[in-house]
Amino acid sequence: MTADPFRMRSLASGIALGLSLASAPAIHAQTPDAAQAPVQMLCDRLIANMKGGPQLGFSGRAAAIGPVVDRAFDLPLMTRLTIGPQWNMVSASDQSALVSAIRKLTVNQYAANFDAYEGQRFTIDPKVETRGADRLVRTSLVQRKDPPVAIGYRLRQSGNGWKIIDVYYQNSISQLATRRSDFARVFQTGGAKALLKHLDDLANRAGH
Amino acid sequence: MAAPAPQAPASQPAPTAEPAPAASTDTPSPDTAAAAAPEQPRHVRHAPGDPLEGFNRVMFSFNTSLDKAIVRPAAMGYKTIVPSPARSGLRNALANLNEPIVFLNDVLQLKPGNAFRTFSRFLINSVFGLAGLFDVANHEGLPHRKNGFGNTLGRYGVKPGPYLYLPVLGPSSLRDAVGGVGDGAVLPNAVGEPFDRTDYRIGTAVVSGLDARIQYDSEIKTLYDTSLDPYAALRSVYQQSRAADIAAITGKTDASPDDTMEDDLKDPAASPDATPAEAAPAAGAAPDATLPEAAPSAGPK
Repeated sequence: MTADPFRMRSLASGIALGLSLASAPAIHAQTPDAAQAPVQMLCDRLIANMKGGPQLGFSGRAAAIGPVVDRAFDLPLMTRLTIGPQWNMVSASDQSALVSAIRKLTVNQYAANFDAYEGQRFTIDPKVETRGADRLVRTSLVQRKDPPVAIGYRLRQSGNGWKIIDVYYQNSISQLATRRSDFARVFQTGGAKALLKHLDDLANRAGH
Repeated sequence: MAAPAPQAPASQPAPTAEPAPAASTDTPSPDTAAAAAPEQPRHVRHAPGDPLEGFNRVMFSFNTSLDKAIVRPAAMGYKTIVPSPARSGLRNALANLNEPIVFLNDVLQLKPGNAFRTFSRFLINSVFGLAGLFDVANHEGLPHRKNGFGNTLGRYGVKPGPYLYLPVLGPSSLRDAVGGVGDGAVLPNAVGEPFDRTDYRIGTAVVSGLDARIQYDSEIKTLYDTSLDPYAALRSVYQQSRAADIAAITGKTDASPDDTMEDDLKDPAASPDATPAEAAPAAGAAPDATLPEAAPSAGPK
């Protein structure tokens, strides 16, 4: 990807807009770039977790990434999207248990997968793309030995900021779509209770 | 930006069999089993894009057993006995013999730039890489790209058709399986000896199959470690990655049933009758109504 005149222009106008609104309430200064903040926060924490990896241990890394996952991801929405239309047929207590189960799975998988530092770094594409009401932030995990891995984040506005609702591996494999497919059978055959049990097993497996 | 082919699964049905032992977690727990029927409960319709799910799941278990009993042990034996440089030499040489097929498909896809790169790669590796034993071109910025008739069919609008999980070969689709047969027919017909000999074909298939099994070992393990229903997770990943391969050639998206980039992802809780169960028996919510096929918009660029 080379210099993109459109991006330069929007960046310039974004700066101009930011300056002109400097005294206005911050709520009006919501530029698309605000969508980068949660991604940046997540990437920074993952690098810190990798650097502190062995000392922190699995539970240390999970404790450190937990609050970041809560702030960066819209876990309730991700859970609803993963379950799909049948979400509305799940009891309120199972609904909140499912959100907690998805949280635990996400936290444990991050703690398990980003556990050691070997010179990796994340680069975040400054151009934020718009997908309907959502934003797409592209990043790349640059590694010393292996080729870089493209990781994209789809974000949706939530309250005053943006939150991640889906993660794309190599710009093509959606975590949400994969989970939706992966969980469908257990949910359809055993309902929310069976899914909860299986999600807990899966999260615990990541911790080993 | 061309979406790089993901590492797994392979673009063509990889001659690799299925994985290792896995805690089979897709049976419902006893306390909820009342609601569950055995293998393919009637009320569960097959997943989108997978009308042959029943057959496919049987093949998936077959491959899993075959892998556990024969393929993985054989692959690990091959890895132990044959030193790494010899394995990579063989891998490179076989991949090099595949470049003419990649080239042919680059041409059929009207991609002169890709065709030129493939041609240069083949020439460099054949001449300076000792008949392809060394992948010299990779270090010159010309990495191997997967390409075949499955992609060419997709390029001209042929949809993947039903998902297929093939014995020994693994994930595919009707389109990709037909493409794979076409790919395999090129050299025997165009060149003849030794490509049309059965012993050559079986020998190279076994070697590349074992080699692929070694290379994907950790990915296969990850699949089992991180999914509840490895069959369904792999199907989703395969369909998404193939859709991305085709999109990279056509420059527009060819949304797979799973493509969330092209889905507006409507919040189920935002529907009018969205109160947690019991309260409202979800009136009229058709089982698959909330995942609207989004109108094609700007694809991943």
